[in-house]
Amino acid sequence: MSAKSTRIICVGNRLVESDNVGPRVYDCLARRDMPGDVSLIDGGLMGLDLLRFVEGVRRVVFVDALHGFAARGRPVVLDHSAALAERPARYGHDDGLAYLLRMLPAVCDSDLPEISLVGAESPIGPDVVEQLADLALSIATRGRYERGTDTAVDAV
Amino acid sequence: MSQKTVLQMPVNRVEGDLDLKVEIADKRVADAWCSGTMFRGFEQILAGRGALDGLVITPRVCGICGTAHLTAASLALDAIAGVEVPDNGIRLRNIALMVEHIQSDVRHGFLMFMPDFANPAYRKHHLYDEAVRRYEPFRGQAAIETVRETKNVLEIVAVLGGQWPHSSYMVPGGVVSVPGQSDLLQCLHLLKQYRRWYETRVLGCEVACWNAIQSASDLDAWLMEKEEHRESEVGFFLRFAQEAGLDAAGRGHGNFISFGSFDLPRQTQVKPARAGDDRLVPAGFARGIIVEAFDAEKISEHVSHSWFRDLGEARHPFDGETRPYASGSEGKKYSWAKAPRYDGIPAETGPLAEAVLAGHPLFTDLVTKSGPNVLIRELARLTRPAVLLDAVEIWLRETLAGDGDFYSPPGEITEGVGAGLTQATRGALGHWVKIEGRKIIHYQIITPTAWHASPRDDGGGRGAMEEALVGTPVKDDQNPVEIGHVVRSFDACLVCTVHSIKKGGTSAKMRI
Repeated sequence: MSAKSTRIICVGNRLVESDNVGPRVYDCLARRDMPGDVSLIDGGLMGLDLLRFVEGVRRVVFVDALHGFAARGRPVVLDHSAALAERPARYGHDDGLAYLLRMLPAVCDSDLPEISLVGAESPIGPDVVEQLADLALSIATRGRYERGTDTAVDAV
Repeated sequence: MSQKTVLQMPVNRVEGDLDLKVEIADKRVADAWCSGTMFRGFEQILAGRGALDGLVITPRVCGICGTAHLTAASLALDAIAGVEVPDNGIRLRNIALMVEHIQSDVRHGFLMFMPDFANPAYRKHHLYDEAVRRYEPFRGQAAIETVRETKNVLEIVAVLGGQWPHSSYMVPGGVVSVPGQSDLLQCLHLLKQYRRWYETRVLGCEVACWNAIQSASDLDAWLMEKEEHRESEVGFFLRFAQEAGLDAAGRGHGNFISFGSFDLPRQTQVKPARAGDDRLVPAGFARGIIVEAFDAEKISEHVSHSWFRDLGEARHPFDGETRPYASGSEGKKYSWAKAPRYDGIPAETGPLAEAVLAGHPLFTDLVTKSGPNVLIRELARLTRPAVLLDAVEIWLRETLAGDGDFYSPPGEITEGVGAGLTQATRGALGHWVKIEGRKIIHYQIITPTAWHASPRDDGGGRGAMEEALVGTPVKDDQNPVEIGHVVRSFDACLVCTVHSIKKGGTSAKMRI
């Protein structure tokens, strides 16, 4: 595993509309040419079992459905500290990614990668899927999202 | 005159969607209703698909016991094809399923069950501060160690099966992976690493020392024998749980069922738990500790209280159907889970059932003395890895030493009927399959949680968890931690649910 590598991990359930943001963005990105040091992963519903994919890399961009951060359908970016601050009450499968992010500093067996979380609240149209794919790829290649870069995106 | 309170609560830290309604009178649970709140429909998804599609689709039934579903699907197709799986194929199937068990058993213990010991309801318990240090979510030492160690041991499944979870490396006739020597040595290394942690931190002694405990009095003596025993996770669990009265909670019907698991290779050093069996973990049904021979024909599914079309009588899973029907019986039907029964009788399954049916001396003695209860159920789960670890290592070494086949071609599967019965981590799991014209025409699945979170049956009898909840004392109905203990002692697992991140954390509804 390369210490310089970057990963985009799309999370969610493609069979459930309110949770299919990640899989739709994955499908969109899978049709594109990815830069050499960026790998794309369909994280499905793996939750805590994604830990292995987060270790040993420099930067990870998660893509997932987000609720309550912005108006429905509006793209949102959570930076490293905001993403790791998400706190499920306790362990449970329905807290998959939130649990992983919360536990990550304590259990990551490598240097903690730079984490970003990109998403929107469903339902979203194809234009927002493309927008989220652009965002994920941009953060993966350039680093953290700078607030105010795009007025159509909320940064947390 | 007693005051009645009805609590309706979603249950957190079970794997999915469980709603629980309990009626409390005189600070005890007077009655309970378990409701599965999500329709899955895997049986419908499978009907009409190719004969082998269950190998890919059913591991997706669950994100934490996919290997068990793959095993059941493969066993059903083995039976239909009439194929004999070579010894190495049997070994690789068993190893992955065992690893799924040993990681899930400790994850359940230290990430789901024991965090209740850090509940403020126990702040006067003399071990409360220590429980917080060990099990506080995200910070407890045991919680952090568990995530690290289970992550590593699951690599064995990934090495043998290509991925974790949702692997599909088992096929009728064996497995499709042929691990090399370095793969198997890596698996042995990972297993030893896990065993070292499990013996040092969880048991506080070697597996052989734990397995030498034969009775309740032996267990007391073991606890008193050494500081390492008392301070281990099992030792701490026993001390905390006894003082909290968990040996008097969650009794239930006292019936146990196991479908049996881990077929023995023809040539192996692993001995079955019950002499003469062809599987390591025996199949059986028991009333208390009285074990009866297992007859799969006695399994039936009742749907009178489930949101499915009622066929007028309970049906064997080869004859049943899964057709949603959510109206017409308002107030009576209350769950998307069916009510499986054995000879018309409800039963619990899982590690304690396996121990009772195997005649495990310690658990036979404990059940004889105090019946099933929360403490015994969770102790059986925490210590099941001690039963399995030796066999995993032997099968890895036998695979490493031998050069036999991993797969025997089954030929094209065009038609037939077969059942795949095994033990998932949480207990008895069955797939009942009919193939016609190269397609699946019938697929029925009974999961362990269907036994546990079962609603009422046709006779109005409660499911296992419902029965176990009756009589549970509830000191504070705003923080009914005792109910959580009982439910979690069954390691209930419903389904994966929507898991997107919500700002500010989880739902505002009361959860236990």
